[in-house]
Amino acid sequence: MGAAVHIPDGFLATPVWATLDAAAVPAAGFIVRRAQREFDEGKVPLLGVMGAFVFAAQMINFPVGIGTTGHLVGGALLAFTLGPAAASVVMAAILAIQALIFQDGGILALGPNVVNMAIVGVLAGYLPFYLWGGGKWRKLSLFAGGTLSVLVSAVLALAELAISGVKMPASVLGVSLALFLVSALLEGAITLAVIQALESIQPRFVREPAAGRSFALGAVSLGAVLLAAVGVLFASTGPDGIEKLGRQAGIASHARTLITTPLSGYKVAFLSSSWLSKAGAGLAGLALIYGACLLIGRAVSRNRSV
Amino acid sequence: MHHVVLERWSRGNSAIHRLDPRAKISALLVFLVVLATAHRNLVTLSAGLLMLLLATLVGARLPLAAAVVRAGIVLPFTVVFVCICWWAGDPARGIALLLKSYLSALAVMAVVSTTPLPALMRGMEMTGSPRFLLMVAQFLYRYLFVISEEAQHMSKAAASRGATSRGLIGSTSRGRSRFRAAAGALAVLFARSYGRAEDIHRAMLARGFQGRFRTLGALRFRTADALFAVLASLAPILWRVAVEKVR
Repeated sequence: MGAAVHIPDGFLATPVWATLDAAAVPAAGFIVRRAQREFDEGKVPLLGVMGAFVFAAQMINFPVGIGTTGHLVGGALLAFTLGPAAASVVMAAILAIQALIFQDGGILALGPNVVNMAIVGVLAGYLPFYLWGGGKWRKLSLFAGGTLSVLVSAVLALAELAISGVKMPASVLGVSLALFLVSALLEGAITLAVIQALESIQPRFVREPAAGRSFALGAVSLGAVLLAAVGVLFASTGPDGIEKLGRQAGIASHARTLITTPLSGYKVAFLSSSWLSKAGAGLAGLALIYGACLLIGRAVSRNRSV
Repeated sequence: MHHVVLERWSRGNSAIHRLDPRAKISALLVFLVVLATAHRNLVTLSAGLLMLLLATLVGARLPLAAAVVRAGIVLPFTVVFVCICWWAGDPARGIALLLKSYLSALAVMAVVSTTPLPALMRGMEMTGSPRFLLMVAQFLYRYLFVISEEAQHMSKAAASRGATSRGLIGSTSRGRSRFRAAAGALAVLFARSYGRAEDIHRAMLARGFQGRFRTLGALRFRTADALFAVLASLAPILWRVAVEKVR
């Protein structure tokens, strides 16, 4: 019973993968910079080997009952031991290797997968530990972290698929959400059990939650959980996906006029071909998203260093 | 382990193997985008793109049948969704998912199986991916086999001591102790991996590691690479334009 949804190429609508790719690039850059500040470049073997550990951990089976087994997914465990930024980097590296070597997840879908699992999933998993990891709720926060990390990334993946117009009847959606919930709870139990075993071997492996306290990280983690909550609502109410959303808000037509108006005087024959002009409009939109994410990342990291 | 095959293929020696990784990466991205954004005449488009990929595989002197089967790894995931789409009364989308996901996987495989991973990573670094992330990915790949083997040894040792995680419904107390034993094994694996990483780091420092990998022989982007990048990018674009002209 594995819980990770690695979206292959061809599943997501172009606006969805392109937006998330454009958002993932600066986000990954930001996370890498943070991880580099905590681990100097020389420590890079540690992160790589811990990534290999997460891979290998799939070979150790946990009995679930009725003859089935489950295994660790690992995002939350890494966040509790290496810190959230380093855990995100390791998970992103795992996703890249899985996409390249194992054809598990697509290349254009790497951005969405990184956002779901490496960034939002890890941060959502770190949030309970960040808030209550020091006090008497520590055990519960470890469990909740493991659960949230899997649940949030699975829900995001489902929401992205639904937005892309992959029709899922309510019954299928319900069954898959129930399955995800079970495997998320399992991840919580495994994470808690492994952390406890680790502490009995060597307490220094598990971080103090205060070590990585930062307002920005907390805010982003909270945002991650909220995003997933919105995703679940959206996936359950709006199965027709992005076209409906676009129609309701009039975004699509609005954006098209906005972007083509400055070009309308110069509409050469080349641009009049419909998909080329659409691609041009799309590229302009992506540049905007990329720029916005870059600026936000810059602002956050500057606030931190002041 | 099945991915060793890919590693062996990537060490081949053909004109395509010798191309600069950047040329192959850019051609791959164009291919994927052309395929992902397509809507009309998808079957004809896919047939042409499949021919293109097969020609590449033949040109790279890779075993054709094995490669075509290998890219089918993506199918189990896709088939589930194809069934769901079919059930939801949208078989056309199901077929689109099938074609797009399989061809994308085959295209990625064509590049990865003609480019050794270090060269691929170096090519990606020169196109602007964060170096730190790529270095982590490379270490991960290097120690994947080592740590996996250790995990296999541990689970084999546990099995030979009589631990069967797949037993029938046992008493809950036994299930719980098995669960705890697996967690203990994982914690030991974690500690060993951590220790190994520290040893590796010290050994690398002793050999003069300064925080970046050095590759023997610089990458050179020659005219042939530029030519390949342009031709291999134009082919899918032109094919799609041609296919979409047909009403």
